[in-house]
Amino acid sequence: MGGAEQAVARIGEEPDVVTGEGLPAARAPAGQASAGWKVLPIVEGLVLLIALVLPWVLQDYLTVFATRVVILALFALSFDLVWGYAGIMSFGQALFFGAAGYGVALLARDLNVTSILLILPAGTLIGLTASLLLGGFLLLGRYPSSVIFVSLGTLTGSYAADRLARGWYYLGGQNGIPSIPPLTLGSYEFEEGPVYYYMVLGILVVVYLLCRFLVRSQFGLALAGLRENEQRIAFFGYKAQHLKAIIFAVGGTIAGLAGSLYAFHEGFVWPNMLGVVFSTQVVLYVLFGGSGTLIGAVIGTVIIEGVSFWLSDNYRDVWPIILGVLLLLVIMFRPLGLVSFVLGERERVGSFGKAPKPKETGNAAP
Amino acid sequence: MASTFAAVFEIVSFGAIIVLVVLGLGIIASMMGIFNFAQGEFVLLGAYVTYLAYAHGAPVWAGMVAAPFVVGAIGFVLEALIIRRFYAAPIVAMLGTYALGLIIRESVRGLIGGFYLTVPEPIGGSIDLGSVHISAWRFTIIVITLVVMGGCYLLLARTSFGLRVRATLENPALARASGISTPLIYGATFAFGAALAGLAGALIVPVFSLFADLGIRFLIQGFVAVMVGGVGSFIGPVAGAGVIGTLSAALPWVMSPVVADVLVFVLAIAFIKFRPQGLIAGKGV
Repeated sequence: MGGAEQAVARIGEEPDVVTGEGLPAARAPAGQASAGWKVLPIVEGLVLLIALVLPWVLQDYLTVFATRVVILALFALSFDLVWGYAGIMSFGQALFFGAAGYGVALLARDLNVTSILLILPAGTLIGLTASLLLGGFLLLGRYPSSVIFVSLGTLTGSYAADRLARGWYYLGGQNGIPSIPPLTLGSYEFEEGPVYYYMVLGILVVVYLLCRFLVRSQFGLALAGLRENEQRIAFFGYKAQHLKAIIFAVGGTIAGLAGSLYAFHEGFVWPNMLGVVFSTQVVLYVLFGGSGTLIGAVIGTVIIEGVSFWLSDNYRDVWPIILGVLLLLVIMFRPLGLVSFVLGERERVGSFGKAPKPKETGNAAP
Repeated sequence: MASTFAAVFEIVSFGAIIVLVVLGLGIIASMMGIFNFAQGEFVLLGAYVTYLAYAHGAPVWAGMVAAPFVVGAIGFVLEALIIRRFYAAPIVAMLGTYALGLIIRESVRGLIGGFYLTVPEPIGGSIDLGSVHISAWRFTIIVITLVVMGGCYLLLARTSFGLRVRATLENPALARASGISTPLIYGATFAFGAALAGLAGALIVPVFSLFADLGIRFLIQGFVAVMVGGVGSFIGPVAGAGVIGTLSAALPWVMSPVVADVLVFVLAIAFIKFRPQGLIAGKGV
């Protein structure tokens, strides 16, 4: 236990920020335990724990709200992958979210499809297709696209989709598609409440773990390089544009999944889901929580939605202003988001692939 | 014949409004490399100042004259306090100005409530050309747009201030070495762009009436126009604004407005994709 205590003390000093893996000597005092004591898993575990016990302590209507937050956190995750890990500013992430929402709403309305086994794959597929098309168009091609072009292109795409949905009678115009029936599995109906909450939470955890695996893989390493110095990655022989298009499609897929869950949870879809409102909302979540850390996206969503829910009764008018001020402060003084208060740079970047150096030194020492 | 003329006037007058809104956006984007997401809110502020003047009993034209100065001053202060930190990173600048825009928009929303407030046209009535009646105020907007466009061009191309601005744009280090205070130039340029947005807001408020989301409507159109025209010059964004403004006003005459709206954006993005440098490439004026 001595080793563990030492490790805790060391975390207090944030030594991981300075000790690279190339300095095994500096790590030696903590011994084997140092590999197991990082801040990130603790934060992740805490968040998961809170999420698991939440329905037990909350009233029913708050559980419904919490479900919405979990779905939005899934959506935020998709944006974080694209912006935080690949450095693609997708200002139109809601396009995939909303397109999937509208798609599954149409499936439910016109074809009476409500089975979760069909709806979720359908929504995911819509997100994947839409993001492949848009990403392929914006990112691929003979000349690499500028960051500005991609961000304005996605923004415009989302705005145009919003306008289209507003004006198209088949999609319900301004009002969207109301009264979507509940999601079903066989004869069971997923009503709002604890069951839906745990179902969504389960999906979030699975997707989160998949994302975590992805960004810590060799592919994730290439992405990190892309974000830091695209030219150098290109000189190494990577096809930078292809990497970007792939991660953009992965992001779109997750957004599609979130969108279909959201549509069935709320029971209706409306044009804002496609448009600039949701697109910028998700940017706020991720920037606030901390881009480039998956947990940051989740935390940002929970905090912003939670505070906004809490304030909306008394301070509905002032809240957007406060949000703007907070966001501005975060961008100016804490560009890595709230998570960076507890998470060191070393852990944020993380280690990649199979290179458990600390453990090896630990084994070698005795 | 008469209806054709009316349609052309409609199209030109909307094109002029877009040009007016894009001017400031284009100058800030071209001369400073910042896509200012708060530009729509500067337009809103200009409209709000005009409304305030009108609501307090001053003549509308007085509010319109005051608007660019007030908004320009606000822009100058914001540049010095906030925007200045973002020059190194264009994406961060977008996010920062977005946050700024959010603050301004929601503050104005809080001040005016959720209403649509009307401001009368300072020059009312219509001009009769035979059987055609055209709105005198929209005609005035076209004239003012032309004057402002010419004025901006002369300012940037012919004055020593314009020379300094262009020098700062092309090579900030050398400009500093030559004794030009680049921070001051950046501040002045940003304030100038903001003032143009304020003027645009003041002029269009009688046409569109005042509401909190007034600016957003033009923001994305403005960005697309700047990209289509080409970032880096003065004339590029203006040309882009002309094209986008004309297209978005002309297409609804031949197809359903919704399709037209979306089509303009799709065409514009496709155009930029295959010609990233825009209509008019190159730096300078």
